[in-house]
Amino acid sequence: MSTFEFLLQGIAIAMQPMNLLYALVGVTLGTAVGVLPGIGPALTVALLLPVTYRLDPAGSLIMFAGIYYGGMYGGSTTSILLNTPGESASIVTALEGNKMARKGRGGPALATAAIGSFVAGLIATIGLAFIAPFVVKVALVFGPREYFALMVLAFVTVSSAFGDSTLRGLTSLFIGFALAIVGIDQLTGQARMSFGVPDLLDGIEVTTLAVAMFAIGETLYIAAQGATGPDKVEAVKGSVWMTKQDWARSWKPWLRGTLIGFPIGAMPAGGAEIGTFLSYATEKRLTKYPEEFGEGAIEGVAGPEAANNASAAGTLVPLLTLGLPTTATAAIMLAGFQQYGLQPGPLLFATNPQLVWGLIASLLIANFMLLVLNLPLVGLWVKLLTIPKPWLYAGILLFATLGTIGANPSVFELGMLLAFGLLGYIMRILGYPIAPVVVGLILGPLAEQQLRRALAISQGDPSVLFTSPIAAVLLTIAALALIVPLILRARGRGQVLSQLAASED
Amino acid sequence: MSDVSRTPSATSRRPDRAALAVAVFLGALAGLIFWDSSRLSAMANYSKIGPATVPFVIAWCLLGLAIWTAVAAFRNEFPARERQEIPPVAWIVAGLVLQMLFLRTVGFSVATGLLFAFTAAGFGRRKLWITIPVGILLCLAVWLIFAGLLQLSLPAGPLEHLFF
Amino acid sequence: MKQFLIASLIAGAMALPAAAADYTIIAPANPGGGWDQTARSMQTALQQEKIAGNVQVQNVPGAGGTIGLAQFASQSAGNPNALLVGGYVMVGAILTNKSPVSLNEVEPIARLTGEYEAIVVPAESPLKTMGDLVDALKKDPGSVSWAGGSAGGTDHIAVGLIAKAAGVDPTKINYIAFSGGGEALAAILGNQVTAGISGYGEFESQVKSGTLRLLAVSSAEKIAGVEAPTLKEGGLDVVVQNWRMVAAAPGLSAEQKAAVTADIEKMVKSASWQETLKTKGWQDTYLSGDAFKEQLAKDVSATETILKEIGLVQ
Repeated sequence: MSTFEFLLQGIAIAMQPMNLLYALVGVTLGTAVGVLPGIGPALTVALLLPVTYRLDPAGSLIMFAGIYYGGMYGGSTTSILLNTPGESASIVTALEGNKMARKGRGGPALATAAIGSFVAGLIATIGLAFIAPFVVKVALVFGPREYFALMVLAFVTVSSAFGDSTLRGLTSLFIGFALAIVGIDQLTGQARMSFGVPDLLDGIEVTTLAVAMFAIGETLYIAAQGATGPDKVEAVKGSVWMTKQDWARSWKPWLRGTLIGFPIGAMPAGGAEIGTFLSYATEKRLTKYPEEFGEGAIEGVAGPEAANNASAAGTLVPLLTLGLPTTATAAIMLAGFQQYGLQPGPLLFATNPQLVWGLIASLLIANFMLLVLNLPLVGLWVKLLTIPKPWLYAGILLFATLGTIGANPSVFELGMLLAFGLLGYIMRILGYPIAPVVVGLILGPLAEQQLRRALAISQGDPSVLFTSPIAAVLLTIAALALIVPLILRARGRGQVLSQLAASED
Repeated sequence: MSDVSRTPSATSRRPDRAALAVAVFLGALAGLIFWDSSRLSAMANYSKIGPATVPFVIAWCLLGLAIWTAVAAFRNEFPARERQEIPPVAWIVAGLVLQMLFLRTVGFSVATGLLFAFTAAGFGRRKLWITIPVGILLCLAVWLIFAGLLQLSLPAGPLEHLFF
Repeated sequence: MKQFLIASLIAGAMALPAAAADYTIIAPANPGGGWDQTARSMQTALQQEKIAGNVQVQNVPGAGGTIGLAQFASQSAGNPNALLVGGYVMVGAILTNKSPVSLNEVEPIARLTGEYEAIVVPAESPLKTMGDLVDALKKDPGSVSWAGGSAGGTDHIAVGLIAKAAGVDPTKINYIAFSGGGEALAAILGNQVTAGISGYGEFESQVKSGTLRLLAVSSAEKIAGVEAPTLKEGGLDVVVQNWRMVAAAPGLSAEQKAAVTADIEKMVKSASWQETLKTKGWQDTYLSGDAFKEQLAKDVSATETILKEIGLVQ
């Protein structure tokens, strides 16, 4: 049988009414648990995996696919509506999405996230089906020096999340770097900034920092406005649905986000959040409405959300073709696959075609179900904003701490949650952007380790960092991205490429 | 962030105390990193970048940022801040502290129920005799779903043991 | 709201299984890793064979398992229903992290499984045998980059032992530590490093499909079904087993210890455990009681020696 026939057969099985129901149940469960702040996709999949074991293999595979995509998507809802991303991949979504929600445009923001996720999921899943072996070959070309170059590029793009002040943006980023030093140095095994506290040896958990800075910091900040703050967010202003202009501004970011997210998700040391940063920076550079960025630009939601979901499918590329679990979520999925007798590895597509194509078909169906479930729910989710604040924020803190306790039931972790929550609150008062802190914590160690690995392999010769073609290209893009806006700024008001021609002074 | 007022207030000639505090904080953070990294042993390594190299770079940059922040503080370049009400923040922080202290002894539901009620109090619902029981019941339901149904390890206390 | 509460209470209560002899297994690592898989396989076997009623796995990740170990030693003391999964990695981590809690502070019950280290090179590599690799190492230790797991872990220790056995200064090895999750494997497959070292299972499917060449394994005797020679056959006197064990809490009475040991033995002999070993490709290296404690003490002292020689422990 050819590839295509296997896929069609898989889809035919997945389309049976019972299996469609399982897909719907999986997507619903995944979204419902994934939407809770503090409970990211890894925990969602780990929690719900046992639910699938009770079904027959086909049904359980389909429900599992639904849970995975549902969990990946769920995080964006609270990011947009409440500015409380529960995981690192939806931090960028909160930047623009929450601004939109505050202006009564939560509906379109959720819709573009849902449709963007669908488009990205669809394209990326098809990509997984047909070009996985090719993509994985490219991903393997990435060694430490190429990753280092990619990190440099990511650092440059982070500046687009700085807000209006370079000083405060850089400060936030470096606070993130400082936090990133904490823990055992991976390459020499020495403890840094741990002060003899064993709980610090593994460093600061990204989820803990993200939940604390966003969910708790935001709650404190809103509470501190007391009666003087805005009475109530206007849940819906104008249409709850996307306007023609919203569509026109969304479709290109969806596609670009997919193109960025899928290969980065496929890289063994990539990670979903890097794709979302790159996508956000790209959209900010390319948009025709630069003044709206930071104020609720729909492109800033559409692109990163697509990138996020595309990388969810991308993660499956090394997992299925090499048996490489590259994220915590993937590691849990690997355990799940073994339950279905699926042993990921280079021979999987040859020895187990039915199951692989069944899985891919399930992912396609799950992706579709996600859209079916979430579009009608947009109106309902927006109503979340009409819950009286005391109950809404009490609930947010309940689930934010639940996620932290569930992942690591230690009092120390809760203490960190409180400390970083206060830090996030103080930074908000003083006008410091929050996202760069988390970005610094994620990217800092990656960049340091890859640099040191690259230099160790070359026995200390720094020229290797530039001599690989891929690294050279990435570094050139990074340099251009850094220098061009500086030149434009130096020449006057011009802050975007599109104004290059028009700038006269 | 253009909604933040940038017009300097009448007292703008005085340095921004909060921003100065940030500068001091950054400087202290840099000092801490210097101190901690200096006791790391330089390990013979082919990369020629030891475990202390990157921390040193970060500490120098933090020091630079501290100076920059201090300058900005004297020039009053920070945006105007909204007035903060402290009691609501104190309520919520107290809730988080209570949860942290009691989680191990009284279990998830009671500890988190307290957090729930205190957070609601921070937002103006001060009737604790109503909110605490409601919070505990809600958290118990959450516990039953997540710990009972989904096998998440959430600490159990006397209340949870009634069900287990 | 009220109705929702009551409904969820009832739903939750109905879902709870009837209470029986329960175990809580601490897996001192993140979900997905070896210890976590061991703990979850134990969970399945103990429940399926009705040896225990409700078995919960709790992940307490961190610092090579020493956080889980410390927490287990302090919080589970005297609790006969608490178990801890651990292994050889913990022995190294206790030393490198200067952990205040050592394995002496828990009650090791039995070694369950073990895995031998495998030394591989990319298929395109000019190195054909372990002898070629050792020659390259002797000529210029820095030019041979080894990809493996975290610094001071089993992989690192094995490389140090290989260098020492080959007469090369162990401090001169160019060991590149990668975080888990297959990053090291990706670097080997991508031809970024000279050689790779990890548990055989990690490489098995790649070796079978021919993308990696297996040079040697670290077992005492040839592993059934694996063609590669042992390090010993290659003239390097190195045997490394990355074993996994289960320990009980400190402060148990003799009867309680015996009860736990009996449960574990029942589990190891059970059909579902043996089935798990087969599907996961784990070697059955079950060893319990004093024999295990003796072997453990030997491993601890040997590990301390080599970690000092590599320079990871002062």
